[in-house]
Amino acid sequence: MSELNLTDNKFIQFHQKIGFKFDGVKYYGYKGDTIASALLRNNVKLIGRSFKYHRPRGFYTCGIEEPNALVQIISEYSEPNTRATIKKIYEGMEIESQNRWPSLKTDIGSINNIFSPVFPAGFYYKTFMGPHKNFWKKIYEPIIRKAAGLGKPPKEFKAVSTHLYHNVDITIVGGGLNGLIAAKSLIDTNFSVLLIDFDDQLGGILNNSNKVQSVNNQTPMDWISETVNEIENSKNIKILKNTLVTNYNYINHLIAVEDKFVGSRPLKDKVNSTLHKIRTDQVILSNGHIERFLSFQNNDLPGIMLCSSFEKYMCRYGVMPSKETVIFSNNSNSESLVFSLIKKGFKPKAYIDSRSGENIEPGLFDLIRKNDIPLYTNSQIKGAFGSKKLQKILVEDSSGGVNEIKTDFLCLSGGINPDVHLFTQSKGLLDWDEKDLTYKPAQAFQPTITLGSASGQFDFNSITKEINEKLDIFGIKPLQINLKLNTSHKFKIEKLWEVLPQKQTIWSKSFIDLQNDVTTKDIRQAISEGFDRIEHLKRYTTNSMGTDQGKISSINALGIVSDLLDKKVNEVGTTIYRPPYAPLSFAAIAGRNSYEYYDPERKTPIHNWHVSNGAVFEDVGQWKRPWYFPINKDETMNDAVQRESKNVRENAGVLDGSTLGKIEIKGKDALAFLNLIYTNSFSKMKPGSSRYALMLGEDGMVKDDGIICKISDEHFIATTTTGGAATVLGCMEEYAQTEWPNLNVYMNSITEQYATFNISGPKTRNIIEKVFPEVDFSNEAFPFMTFQFHEYEDTPIRILRASFTGEMGYEIYVPSNQALKIWEKIINFGKEFGLMPYGTETMHLLRAEKGYIIVGQDTDGSITPLDLGLDWMIGKSKKDFLGKRSLIRSDTVRKDRKQLVGIIPTNKNDKLEEGQHIILDKEIKTPMPMLGHITSCYQSPTLGHNFALAVIKNGQSLIGTKAFASTPELKTIEVEIVEPIFYDKENTKLAS
Amino acid sequence: MLVIDCPYCGPRDQSEFSNGGEAHVKRPDGSAEIGDREWGEYVFIRANPKGIFYERWVHSHGCRKWFNCVRDTSTDEILKIYKIDEERPKLDSFKNNVKTPSGEPNLGSGNFTVKK
Ligand SMILES: [Zn+2]
Repeated sequence: MSELNLTDNKFIQFHQKIGFKFDGVKYYGYKGDTIASALLRNNVKLIGRSFKYHRPRGFYTCGIEEPNALVQIISEYSEPNTRATIKKIYEGMEIESQNRWPSLKTDIGSINNIFSPVFPAGFYYKTFMGPHKNFWKKIYEPIIRKAAGLGKPPKEFKAVSTHLYHNVDITIVGGGLNGLIAAKSLIDTNFSVLLIDFDDQLGGILNNSNKVQSVNNQTPMDWISETVNEIENSKNIKILKNTLVTNYNYINHLIAVEDKFVGSRPLKDKVNSTLHKIRTDQVILSNGHIERFLSFQNNDLPGIMLCSSFEKYMCRYGVMPSKETVIFSNNSNSESLVFSLIKKGFKPKAYIDSRSGENIEPGLFDLIRKNDIPLYTNSQIKGAFGSKKLQKILVEDSSGGVNEIKTDFLCLSGGINPDVHLFTQSKGLLDWDEKDLTYKPAQAFQPTITLGSASGQFDFNSITKEINEKLDIFGIKPLQINLKLNTSHKFKIEKLWEVLPQKQTIWSKSFIDLQNDVTTKDIRQAISEGFDRIEHLKRYTTNSMGTDQGKISSINALGIVSDLLDKKVNEVGTTIYRPPYAPLSFAAIAGRNSYEYYDPERKTPIHNWHVSNGAVFEDVGQWKRPWYFPINKDETMNDAVQRESKNVRENAGVLDGSTLGKIEIKGKDALAFLNLIYTNSFSKMKPGSSRYALMLGEDGMVKDDGIICKISDEHFIATTTTGGAATVLGCMEEYAQTEWPNLNVYMNSITEQYATFNISGPKTRNIIEKVFPEVDFSNEAFPFMTFQFHEYEDTPIRILRASFTGEMGYEIYVPSNQALKIWEKIINFGKEFGLMPYGTETMHLLRAEKGYIIVGQDTDGSITPLDLGLDWMIGKSKKDFLGKRSLIRSDTVRKDRKQLVGIIPTNKNDKLEEGQHIILDKEIKTPMPMLGHITSCYQSPTLGHNFALAVIKNGQSLIGTKAFASTPELKTIEVEIVEPIFYDKENTKLAS
Repeated sequence: MLVIDCPYCGPRDQSEFSNGGEAHVKRPDGSAEIGDREWGEYVFIRANPKGIFYERWVHSHGCRKWFNCVRDTSTDEILKIYKIDEERPKLDSFKNNVKTPSGEPNLGSGNFTVKK
């Protein structure tokens, strides 16, 4: 292992050894190593199996663009699809390769490679279509699922992440040479600046290569540390390291994720990652470029790597991936690698360039000649061969002769692309550069500046000029930076996308997308099948649709397509790069909004009483409501509901109704306003009385209901359903502000200021008289649907005589902080009369027996008051109210509308279920005309049988007829359609 | 995500607001003289143009105030924000040279349906 180490490297701490496991085998690396650099130190080159064909794959790059080296981190909740080329190792880290079975070396799935005609371009589409609909589900899908894929999802996952917001003037993305110069020129200006880099070392290309010899006569390392020090000590610039900008949204809104545990094991109780949400006036993109690969036969073999990546392993990580490598290039980017290799004394085994001798950089040419490196100009690699690793390559030289070179390593360079991913996310437009053969930023759509290679400016000698020109808008002093280079300052390239193979074998493939296993043959096939539009081609072949989005290969695909179609690349166009730039974990996005903090929980003022009295809770919106109160742990919900509801009918019950929405409405025009909002007329109501009211949408459909209490013409209190409180208040605000701004009216939510307790049952009066002895609860003094204000032990309370159960009842409104006192009084005084608390399920049963609807359960946004038989609630003399005109629309006056009815099974013990369809025939056949469905159904201890509410076509005229409820087993239950009221039809109880 | 300049509170993130659809839609009163068609258009029909659009927003997690906004739906650029009782700005008062992301003209394209 030691012979591959370059121990003079400054970034790797060679004195700090780190042990980790890969596929169960223990290896050692050093502090600062990525998984990839540590494994390369150990001469491990095979890292995974490919997605579709299970071909052996190695490390292709040294960064985030990596298509192959995705691993599962067992020691971190089994986190899958982690890029081995960026993830740093720590002591005790456990890593597994992905997509192989039974092991990485012997993988059964690689047989897919031999059967590759089974997986042609458009495979998934073709398979979905035939030959028979069950083929996919029964045969293909299970097999493909097992064979194709990436890592396994994590287990028992609970990562901790947080969100952080920034509002800054300038955000610099990328702290390489350009980013550092830009930041340096902004030091101690009045701009607040964020400088973001993905690495933990700023400097980019200065750290990753030997291209630059000196900056302002300092070594690159010295210049970086001095500059970073100046930036860190400035008053206006903040540096975020280990932070990747993944999204560039509208109005200069950036999303960036920061890894808080780089090179150490994430702690369970500490924030693992921070999601930065950045709003900025100006974005400076100095995020550099990405080298691309080349397509030829078996260009995916372990042992093949990009030139700049090889150099980065040497310079940034102090490791030689191989001591003897062959280089193949069509551009100047390979020069720096040759320089670095010779400097370290590992001269390349051969240098192959598709360009002619006179087009190769003179410096590079001299270097090769001086060091006696075998040089092949005007030459191409026809293919690479080997078993599970590279063993030899075939080179076609300028005379057309084919030479075999034995080698275990090959470095490739197919050109460089500005990293335009974020720029295009920002909706910036690109333009094809025919000279540099790449897409470059052309027109920004937002306040965006691109610098250096990110802007397609590949000339080192123009760096300061470009920065000074583009940053001139900030009115800052220009800087002069003098660069001395080890390589030529300009970028030159000659077109080469693909080398066609000598002869085709089944095993040999020429890849265009390594992660998704797309071959150049797939591209040809797609085009011959007519998918010649680039967006179609992408989806048909899945080219560049992997998690790497084809960072090293998508431009190559455009080049190949443009040649095949004989079109300019600009005419072929480019597919859209989509956010995120690189995979972003759900944990980071969720932040603190997960598990118990996912949604706020609302609890009533006496919630703790319910808890200590054994209530089982139900979620109603965000509210926790007691569902039922089992008397012991053996009592089932059904038993509890039967007991509770029987007790309300025979004695009395009390419900915590505090979740009901309460809105206070005040103002000179409060009466006129409510007359417009609700269907009812409130004009003739006396102060101190209340009314059941309906609210419609403008389409005439029931939106909410509640009780309106009139204190005076200028002061009302409305209740709403638990779920509708916010919507109703919002609707009132909207109309008050936008339609009737001339009305003097104000409203406010008082839902949480007051608790509400509903006592009902025949013994209610006995109990409530004991709780409030000074109040006269006689029918004469306190009639049905009236309310009164009282003081109780210095607590102002409001008592409303109303009922949602059909029994005589009162609702008591108490300020929340006094609620428990009153509730306990009621419970204590009620004991001798058999009072019991009851939950929402019993409430639902009782109101259904009485035929009272629940908006949202018995209605669904397509039910008018007429459909519910609530014509009496419509203030017909009123000129206008929300939805009034809609009640005479041709659709709402139709005869065959669905209407509310009651349902009783003929066999009274037959169980009905919500959602069951009501039909007229006993036998179910197709097509089966359906009348409607059951909206609520219950087992009633009072009636002694099951019953339901339903909305069915023409229901009101079908009352008294027989029908059937369908079941999923295709059996039917005979039922009778009845009036939707089952208990106390004469309303004698309410006024008793 | 947009930044919306609430006329009462100042610029805030879009997440504090709710969109209220097309602005300046006049509500007919509920009397029976209004025909089904006219009423139906008020209830169900809204413009959905590519280009300049007059729309309503409410600062629902802020001051709860409604206000109007002119937005170019092809670029998401907010051209003007004004209070509910202010006059509707004229369409030709907006000079807009921003190219749409797809490169199409932002005015005068086939689906430009906003009422002039
Ligand atoms: Zn506001």
